[in-house]
Amino acid sequence: MGRIFLEHINGTQKLYNCAQCDTNLTNKSQLISTRFTGSTGRAYLFKRVVNLTFSNVQDRVMLTGRHMVRDVMCKNCKTKLGWMYELAVEESQRYKEGRIILEHALITESEGMGELRPRNYEEN
Amino acid sequence: MMGGFSTSTRSSTEDREPPRKRSKRTSVLEESSSQNLSTRLSTLGSTTSSFTTSPHHHQQQQQQQQQQQQNHHHSFNIFEMLEENMNGSSGGGANNNGSTSSTNYDMNGHRMAQGNNNDQASSISSTANGTATTNNCGEYTTNGVMNHNNHHEYSAQNQNVQLDNTNRDIVRLIGQHLKLIGLDRTAQMLMQESGCTLEHPAATKFREHVLSGDWHKADYDLQELQGIVEDDKLTKHNLIEMKFLLLEQKYLEYLDDSRPIDALHVLRNELTPLHHNTPRVHQLSSYMMCTNNEELYERANWEGKNIKSRTRLMDRLQSYLPASVMLPPKRLQKLLRQAVELQTERCSHHDMAWETSIDNVSLLSDHNCSNTANAFPMYPVQVLNEHSDEVWYCKFSPNGLKLATGSKDTYVIIWDVDPEKHQLKQRKSFECHPNGVSFVTWSPDSKFLIVGGTEESSELLIYNIEELKLHSKVSHSNDESLTCAAFSPDGTRFVTGGIRGQFYLCDLEGTILNNWDGVRVNSLAFLSDNQTVLAADTHYRIRSYCFETRNDFNLIQEHHPIMTFTVNSTDRLALLNISSQGLHLWDLQDKCLIRTYQGVTQGNYTIYSCFGGVNESFIASGSEDNTVYIWHVRREEPLASLTGHTRTVNCVSWNPVYHNMLASCSDDGTVRIWGPKPSSNDFMSLISGSTSSTPATSSSSSLNHNDEHMGNSNNDWNIS
Repeated sequence: MGRIFLEHINGTQKLYNCAQCDTNLTNKSQLISTRFTGSTGRAYLFKRVVNLTFSNVQDRVMLTGRHMVRDVMCKNCKTKLGWMYELAVEESQRYKEGRIILEHALITESEGMGELRPRNYEEN
Repeated sequence: MMGGFSTSTRSSTEDREPPRKRSKRTSVLEESSSQNLSTRLSTLGSTTSSFTTSPHHHQQQQQQQQQQQQNHHHSFNIFEMLEENMNGSSGGGANNNGSTSSTNYDMNGHRMAQGNNNDQASSISSTANGTATTNNCGEYTTNGVMNHNNHHEYSAQNQNVQLDNTNRDIVRLIGQHLKLIGLDRTAQMLMQESGCTLEHPAATKFREHVLSGDWHKADYDLQELQGIVEDDKLTKHNLIEMKFLLLEQKYLEYLDDSRPIDALHVLRNELTPLHHNTPRVHQLSSYMMCTNNEELYERANWEGKNIKSRTRLMDRLQSYLPASVMLPPKRLQKLLRQAVELQTERCSHHDMAWETSIDNVSLLSDHNCSNTANAFPMYPVQVLNEHSDEVWYCKFSPNGLKLATGSKDTYVIIWDVDPEKHQLKQRKSFECHPNGVSFVTWSPDSKFLIVGGTEESSELLIYNIEELKLHSKVSHSNDESLTCAAFSPDGTRFVTGGIRGQFYLCDLEGTILNNWDGVRVNSLAFLSDNQTVLAADTHYRIRSYCFETRNDFNLIQEHHPIMTFTVNSTDRLALLNISSQGLHLWDLQDKCLIRTYQGVTQGNYTIYSCFGGVNESFIASGSEDNTVYIWHVRREEPLASLTGHTRTVNCVSWNPVYHNMLASCSDDGTVRIWGPKPSSNDFMSLISGSTSSTPATSSSSSLNHNDEHMGNSNNDWNIS
């Protein structure tokens, strides 16, 4: 086995990391919605998440209808973190396709780099 | 420096040159022996005395000194000159350290070229040489290259030529080639005149002995060659290998002569003691059991005891000897072959249809296919105006005799292709999809045509083109979308799909045989194994699906939407039209992006590209800048851009049989046919002939690498 290549999504705002191994997953600018529910409770929908591996496609009937989904795992520690919508059968749910659900209980938040401002500029 | 003074003395000193050369050699010796030498030289006769007394000589000397602007002693100058020649002969880099053997060799060459018949003189030179073995001393007399009767006149002439390393190599190459094609006498003359030697005399001797089957002498020559060649070039291992090859031939020839006892002797007392390549020795010993010669030839893969097998042996032996001693076999041809290969590789229009080899390409000029570019489909031949709205798709049938075009005007038009006149004639039009025809595909036998509509269209229509009627439909549910399809190579089934998540395997009657859930399909391809289907989906991927085994896996992951893609006939390359990113060529086997092509603009509209030309070595694509672009598969820059359309070019199709025909269709409502550069006759018939179509007056094409064509084509069309 080689060394796992991990990306970092960066960003000035809040970052979301794997709770198990603290691998960076995404940031707040990718957040679409916080009003989702997963097996552990509250879950967030993100546009783009890095450092994931995907399971095979599964057919699941959810509260919003039938979906084809893939479970997503942390690329580093293989912990299951949520799922990705491969296909939404309901036309109204198509906006979720390709988007990723991360369960809130399985991720941690950390501060990003904040606004990058030259220090002497602040002093002035 | 040599050339300068010798031209001035060409006629007058022709008989004096050799002795003067000899005096140079004496100068190589220490001062103490030069006196002795001069007395010996004086016994050479009048030529030597005239050398010391001739007023001409002083003149030469002055000229030479003037030229060199040096005040060195005359003999010293010439000593330098000699040294330069010595160094010059050492093959590539004139290496002073390693030049002992080549010095020796060059001195031999000079002796031979000068053609001095005087034994005494040559013995002096060989002693002066120092490194020359006594064997070499009289060698030139036995060397077949030398013509003793003529030596005198050539010896004068060769003083005129001063050759640097490169020219020496060239002369040697030419000499070798002349010999190869049987112009032996010319080769001899060349060697004499140029003062070069084709190869080391010892190598010549070695070759003679090998070719005549004198194995004992050849073995002896080999020892001699070992002494000449520097140690690092002819390793001990190589030497043993050469010996082994010689003995192998010797052994086989004994077998051929039905002299098994002698063969056994070779095997036991000569081959085995070498302790080299024991498996081969065992193999060789097994040949002893062959009942007849034919069996021996077959088992040993050997031509028998003749000049052919010995030449082959010689070629193998030659590869172990450095080029300065013995040229590699057929060196000039090899170099020329390399040149042709390189030119072919660099040829922008090369279609790989014909292998360029040294036999079918003229060596007199660089290979360039741009002459055949006149036959390249980039000259406007015909404009089809029958559609009344944007034309979204066009596709030639696999047999090249039909073209199908689909338009927003709801019609599909089938056109007959006249491959000779490059003209198309409407055959039939079908009203198909109310929202327009976005896609058609032909069955491999050109018999059926599948017509797909826009995203709102849930019906796929299958037409029988031979009978010109609707054959069947795929129609499942109204809210489905079927926008693309691909025939299996055996023509019995097809896959179809759309971005609403339908992905079906159907038969020709339109029955759904199998389906795959959960894929929104943008574009499809059926691979030639009749099982694997590639589908581009809405997640920027191309995945491989096998309906029989239900296997699926990722092949390509792009970072932008894949609008359409096409796979070449070998299933190896996939050409992707990426939204806002242009054309990407992927290797499906290695799963890697090979090339991104420059020129196109694609972003808002679905644009189709295609492979084409002989061996599919070209690609063409539409573009939103109203232009058709053509590339060579191996080059990023467009080979040609075809202008004429006035709006986005949606689709291009390269005729798969008549490679000089290309069709493009555009939002401007026209289908344009591109063909080879029309001759004036064709042009006239084109004007008078067509009623349903008008010649393209506003079209022009530019061949990026051959701009003169652009002017020509414009001129042609300005007549109208």
